[in-house]
Formats: sequence, C-alpha cells, structure tokens
Amino acid sequence: MTTQQTTQAAGSAAPPEEIKAVPVRHPGRWLSAAVVLVLVAMFVHTLLTNPRFEWDVIGSYFFSSRVLDGLAITILLTVVAMAIGIVLGVILAVMRLSANPLLSGTSWVYIWFFRGTPILVQLLFWFNLAFLYPRISLGVPFGPSFLHADANSLITPLAAAILGLGLNEGAYMAEIVRAGILSVDHGQVDAAQALGMSRSLTLRRIILPQAMRVIIPPTGNETISMLKTSSLASVITVTELLYAVQLIYAVNFKTIPLLITASIWYLIITSILTTGQYYVERHYARGAARELPPTPWQRIRRILFTVHAPLPASPTQHKDQ
Amino acid sequence: MSLVIALVGAGCGSGSSTGTAPSASAVGKVGSIADQVPAAVKAKGTLTVAADATYAPNEFIGPDGHTVVGMDADLAKAIGQVLGLKINVVNATFDTIIPGLASGKYDLGISSFTDTVERQQTVDFVTYFLAGTSFYVKAGGPGIASLAGLCGHKVAVEKGTTQAADAQAQAPKCTSAGSPVTIEIFNDQNEVNLALSSGRADVAMADSPVAAYQVKQSNGTFKLSGKEYGTAPYGIAIPKNNGMAKPILAAVDHLMADGTYMKILDKWGIQGGAISNPKINGATS
Repeated sequence: MTTQQTTQAAGSAAPPEEIKAVPVRHPGRWLSAAVVLVLVAMFVHTLLTNPRFEWDVIGSYFFSSRVLDGLAITILLTVVAMAIGIVLGVILAVMRLSANPLLSGTSWVYIWFFRGTPILVQLLFWFNLAFLYPRISLGVPFGPSFLHADANSLITPLAAAILGLGLNEGAYMAEIVRAGILSVDHGQVDAAQALGMSRSLTLRRIILPQAMRVIIPPTGNETISMLKTSSLASVITVTELLYAVQLIYAVNFKTIPLLITASIWYLIITSILTTGQYYVERHYARGAARELPPTPWQRIRRILFTVHAPLPASPTQHKDQ
Repeated sequence: MSLVIALVGAGCGSGSSTGTAPSASAVGKVGSIADQVPAAVKAKGTLTVAADATYAPNEFIGPDGHTVVGMDADLAKAIGQVLGLKINVVNATFDTIIPGLASGKYDLGISSFTDTVERQQTVDFVTYFLAGTSFYVKAGGPGIASLAGLCGHKVAVEKGTTQAADAQAQAPKCTSAGSPVTIEIFNDQNEVNLALSSGRADVAMADSPVAAYQVKQSNGTFKLSGKEYGTAPYGIAIPKNNGMAKPILAAVDHLMADGTYMKILDKWGIQGGAISNPKINGATS
C-alpha cells in the first residue's frame, strides 16, 4: 500500500522534490511474531511448571553412565554403519553403471535384496546366523578350509548390528550415489576423455567431485536417519541409547521422563550432524555457486549489521546488500 | 514365603478342578465391593486392562489372533464380575502400559508385573501371585541349577524382569570369582528363546510358570534345569490415588475366598504360585 502511494505521489508532483521513502510496514509480520512468541512462552511455561515432566528424573539420568554408555554405542553404530554404507554405496553405484552385465546385475540384485527386506529382519538374521551356520570357516572354495570359528563368537551382537545396519545402508547409498553420478553432465566425461583421462581417473577427478553436491544432502539425511535406526539394534541386545533408557524404565517405570532424556540426546546429536552437513555442503558448493552461502556466524553478523545500518535514502540502494 | 505357598496348596488345592474355564455365571457381582468403586469409574462401566501378551501362559494372544488370554486375563474378567464392571483386556507393549495408566488410557495393568518398592513410587500394586524363577537350557546343554552356576556362561533374560535384576546382581560375584557371566537382555520372551536355540545363550531364566510353558511348547528342544528359586510377588498395577486399589484388593480377596482364584490357576497349571493374603503394595524390596 505504502509503495503504491509513494509512486503515485512521485508521478503527479510537478516540481521534482526529493523522494521520502518510508520502509514498507509489515503489521501482519509483527502480529504473527507476537502470536508465535506468546505460544512459545506458553509452551516453555508448561515445560517448566508441569510436574509430570519430572525434570528431576531427567536431570538425574541425563549424564548417568548407563545413558552415556548407550549414547557412545549409538554414535559408534551410526559412524561405522554409515562409513560402511558410503564405501559400499560408491562401489555398488559404479558397478551398477558398469558396462559389464555381470557387475551391474550383481549390484542390482544386492540393492533389490537389501532394500526389499525389513532392516529388523536383517538384524535378527545376522545375530542368529549361528542358527543356519553354527561354524564359519575360511578356505579354498568347495575345497579344504583352514580357519574355523564358532559363528556366535565371531559375530558379537555389536558386530551383527554393524553388519546389518551397514550392509542395508549400502543399498540405499548406492542409489543416492548413482543419482549423483547421473546428475553430472555427460559433456564432462567427453571433455575428460578428450584430454586423455582414463575411465577411473575421470570418475575420481571429474565425476565424483561434481556428483558430491547432489550426494551430500541425502547422505546427511541418511546419517540422521541412521542415528535413530540404530535403535533397532536393541532387538539383538545392543545397549544403544534408546535401549539403555528402556532397560532403566523397565525397572523403575519412569517411562516418559527417560524417553525424554533419550530424545534430548538424539536432538543434540542431530543438531551437531546438521551443522556438519552444512559445512560439507558449503565445501562442495565451491565449483557451482559464485558466492559461497554464509556460515551461521556470518549470517548473524550480517543481520546485526543490517539492523544498525541507516535507513536507505533511495530504494535502489537496497539492492547493494 | 515357601511355607505360605505350602499352606495355601494344602488348603485350597483340594478344590476340584475340571480344567475348564470358570464360566461367567460362576462369579456374581458383590454389592459391598462394587460400592467401593469410585463414581467416575462406575459411570464409565468398563475397565480397560492392559497386558503385554508375550508371556504365556500368563498373558498371550489366543488362537483367534487378537484376543488376550491367559491367567491374568481370566483373573481380570473375574475381578470385573465381582465389581459389576465390564472388562476389556487389550494387548499393549510393556513400554506403553505404565504411561497409559498415568494418562488414563488404561485402568489396570495386569501383566505379570513384579511388585517392587521402586515401582510403587509410580503405581499402586495389589499382589495376587508369587512367581519363582526357573532356569532352562537346550536339551543336552549345561546343567545350571543356581545363580552361582551362571558364572562362565551366557544367560538370556527379558528386560525389566526380576531375572534380569538377579543376573545383574550375580555378575560382579562371578567376575570376582574369575569366571564372568555374559548377560543378554532381550525385549521379549520370544527373543530369549531364539537366542537359546541359536546358541547365543547357554541358559535362559524366566518366571517358573512361563519357563515351564516354554519348555512344554519347545517339543523337547529345551529342558528345565535345576529347581526354581526365589519368589517375586506379581501385582495388579493401578494408577496412584484414583480410588481403585481398595475395591480391587477386596475383589481379589473375594475371588480367593470363593475358590474362583484357584480354579483359574488350576486351569493354567500354575497352582504353585497361589497366595492367600493379597496386599496393596505388599513388596518390601
């Protein structure tokens, strides 16, 4: 409304006088901000005053060794399973795009199988591998074997969890990496070949670095998802964060406060992972974006700076920032 | 405690049992007990009872695939008849029963809960059964007959059970004896059994009725090992201070006096755990 009036005034006035630009008012913004602030205040108030949250219980368990041990296992599972998943995903994606039908077929079957069965079943399967193969041996195929091991002592619950989560993640990562590779313009490959680069060098130097931009966001998603999927390892007695609190409340019945305890920890780790993802994304944006997106710190400084800047004398000055 | 069981066994065990379910007409509404029910519950007319149906024969899903059956379900229905209230037994995971009681989603939790002092801070219990612990192993497995016998072995237990607590209390003793025990705590009894059959665990522990039932169901794969020990009182979990603990206690007392209680235990073959003196928050440990 205000802008309209300003332009009209500027057009009809006979003597050209200096334009008095008034920043656009946003009463709606102020109103919605007030509503949100009241709602936030109400929420914080109930959080603090509702005794049913039992914050004292949450406080007493938040840094307890059982919870922290569970947290360590959760982080370990997430990191190792994602590492396996990413390496396996790259290998499978490259195999899938290979001209060799045996390799691409193998990769297709792997992805088909691991995406097609519930992760819970896969975990139980690895954990109870001894049910099918009581002894695992290493040797010449169909010939003599040299090393024997009891399947149960070879595959500890933690190893079963890592195997189950990592192999399953590999199938999903393969599709993400494949999407990234396909997103790179084919002209890039042509150019690399024209320069005499081999296929593997082209992959490492040209395709993957550019594919990373497409691969990172869904990979961050998968990592955060893995953080929580790792709680499925509880079915095979791996005492990760969620199972650690479940074991505690199974005895003392403080179910909700302990679930809140675990949730707060999951939120903290997710926040850290989100921040990490932001910086990795920023790193790989170098080739594509003219200007790197600001870091959170830079953004805060910019907001502060803008607020304190004098009001622009003309509307065109606005664009400089 | 074992003396009490023996006395009860002698006193009530003579009640004839044909092995059939107590018919609905067997127990009538008892006015003096029904009057103790708070008005709000009376107006509702139905008690929603939660049970984690993975613990045969105490509570499990019947052959129709959705009804919760077992000793606890039968007892809940009998209590409902005494109070003149309808009973709706629903299947719920252990994790949801206690919050469900606090939020009013469920009125009672009857699911082989062990009454402990720690748990009494969150819910009230009316005790109704005494369970011992039994060890069971794979046929041909090690003969483990006591907690001390666990040392050097892998034991599978279900989370939140007295057995899990007992095994964990035994662990430091085994470690100091130089023969540590590995404790595997599973979410439910099915996983405990799977671990035992795949050799993940050498021995499993469970409440004696449950262990006996699992061994019977396994067709010779499992066998009981040694004698049962200890006694853990089962309690009906009731939300704190909602006025239901007293009428429930009176109803359980009534069912014990008129013989319905023993009929139910007989039906499921677990007379050994009968008690004669139910209490509100009877546990002292």
